Amino acid sequence: MTRAADGRAASCLVMASRWITLLVMTRLLAAAVAVLLLVVHRVTAHDPLLVAVVVGYTALSLVALTRVPRLQLSPAAWVVDCLAVLALVVASEDWRSPFYVLMVTALILPSTGLAFRWALTWGAAFTLAYFGVAVYTELDANTLESTIRLETIATHLMVPLVVVLALAYAADVLERLRGERLRSERLAVESERQRIAWELHDSAKQRVHAAHLVLSALGGQVAGPQAELVEHALSELRAAGADMDTSVAELRTPLEGRSVERLLDERAAELAPASEAEISVRGAVGELPAHIAAHAYRIGAEALTNAVRHAGADTIVVILARNGSSATIEVSDDGRGMPTVRRPGSNGLRSMRARAETIGATLTIGPGSEGCGTRVQLTVPTGPERRSSTP
Amino acid sequence: MIRILIVDDHPAMRTGLSAVLRAEPGLVPLDAATSATDLWPALRRTKPDVVVLDYHLPGDDGLVLCRRIKRELPAPAVLLYSAYADASLTIPALLAGVDGLVNKSAPANELYDAIRRLARGERVLPPISRELLDEAARTLEPDELPVLGMTLEGTSHADMAGTLNADPGELSHMIDRMIKRLKIEIPAPRGR
Repeated sequence: MTRAADGRAASCLVMASRWITLLVMTRLLAAAVAVLLLVVHRVTAHDPLLVAVVVGYTALSLVALTRVPRLQLSPAAWVVDCLAVLALVVASEDWRSPFYVLMVTALILPSTGLAFRWALTWGAAFTLAYFGVAVYTELDANTLESTIRLETIATHLMVPLVVVLALAYAADVLERLRGERLRSERLAVESERQRIAWELHDSAKQRVHAAHLVLSALGGQVAGPQAELVEHALSELRAAGADMDTSVAELRTPLEGRSVERLLDERAAELAPASEAEISVRGAVGELPAHIAAHAYRIGAEALTNAVRHAGADTIVVILARNGSSATIEVSDDGRGMPTVRRPGSNGLRSMRARAETIGATLTIGPGSEGCGTRVQLTVPTGPERRSSTP
Repeated sequence: MIRILIVDDHPAMRTGLSAVLRAEPGLVPLDAATSATDLWPALRRTKPDVVVLDYHLPGDDGLVLCRRIKRELPAPAVLLYSAYADASLTIPALLAGVDGLVNKSAPANELYDAIRRLARGERVLPPISRELLDEAARTLEPDELPVLGMTLEGTSHADMAGTLNADPGELSHMIDRMIKRLKIEIPAPRGR
């Protein structure tokens, strides 16, 4: 499941937990009223049994719903609950039952858990079922002729509808407010990301370019150990530039914790329509520390893009593997192979090398296994598998 | 001696580039402009042989400026020097009249070499792959393709207008439109 879907499910449960509080409070109160009425008034011939059933069912239903959060959003659980309370009304042999309030509490979860329209449908169906129970227990011609009794049945039928309407409306408004707030938070984060990306690219990266240029001018004039020092500093600057590129790309289109294999699979699907080659992505590298995963993905994606754009291949294969203390990503094609001279102005390979340097990985670019095509192999040292990454 | 004018909006890049060019014998950086506004006075005052031009500038980008620089007489050679300079920029750069394309991450000797070749009248551009051409052909209108073809062959705008029997002004507008459609978009933050 994606992180977004996880978030949605979690937030639904947060919302449900507010309504479950309302359910617990009203159901305990309703059960107390029912027990009191059964004790004070003689309602049926089997009152003690009904008291036991009410206490038992109230306890059971509340424990089940609070202990198993999944049930709070399960329509099957709602149906069982509604049928159980209607059964209690039937058992009390009168639609003006001491269990009436208890019965209404069964509507809390469906009215708040369903979309507005479906909640109203649920309320109407429940009211109809209650009307059926009323007809079954006592409602007759006598009731319909008496003004007071007619008014009572009308009220009894209206209450579930009003409760459902009010709760569904409240839940709908709360949900919308929450959605609005999430949206504006997301927009704020998004614009902040864009701003940071811009500053990195427009300012910091320009300075790195300038430093690299100045230092590279010095490179030809020193010899021996000093030349090595200059080369070392140059490679650090190239890696810093690549780091910034990755950060900018990550800020603009975040990986959001998705695995490298999944991202490469998505990239392959994006490239497939523009390519005549058949692209397949196999294997997995598993979990990698976030910045290593980001660089590894960008290297793999660049290799894949190059293969699609320049190789003129029939098949392109991406193989990911994890063995012991390293992860490998291999992109190979059966195309025309690497050009013998570097395309001037092309900076893809340079940035792939710099990225590999940044994460201490080895990048090998050469001809394919049978001497044709191109094979790009990235080996990333990972340490022992599932090592927890230190932030 | 090759006389050079630098156009870049970032101060670190301007000073770095000036210093690096000054250190190389035979190259003389004359001035450094930050944008289109101070480019024209500098260009007319210094009359450089080569303009080292950044792609991403406030206001008009490097390609738009290059089109205008190339209308100057005598027109200097233009080297597009940019962090975005990769193969995908080659076709719009050619249409804009750019003579050379060098990435900002390239080492200084690559830059010296490109400037020297430009001063000799050569072009320093990445070869254009079939894929890039196909992509450009898909993006452009059918009546624009002959212009692309002739640009790739190095036909002058006057000859092009003659061959196509087109008004030079119209041809110029068409080229502007083609560049606009082909150039890479750089995402800018909102409100900028």
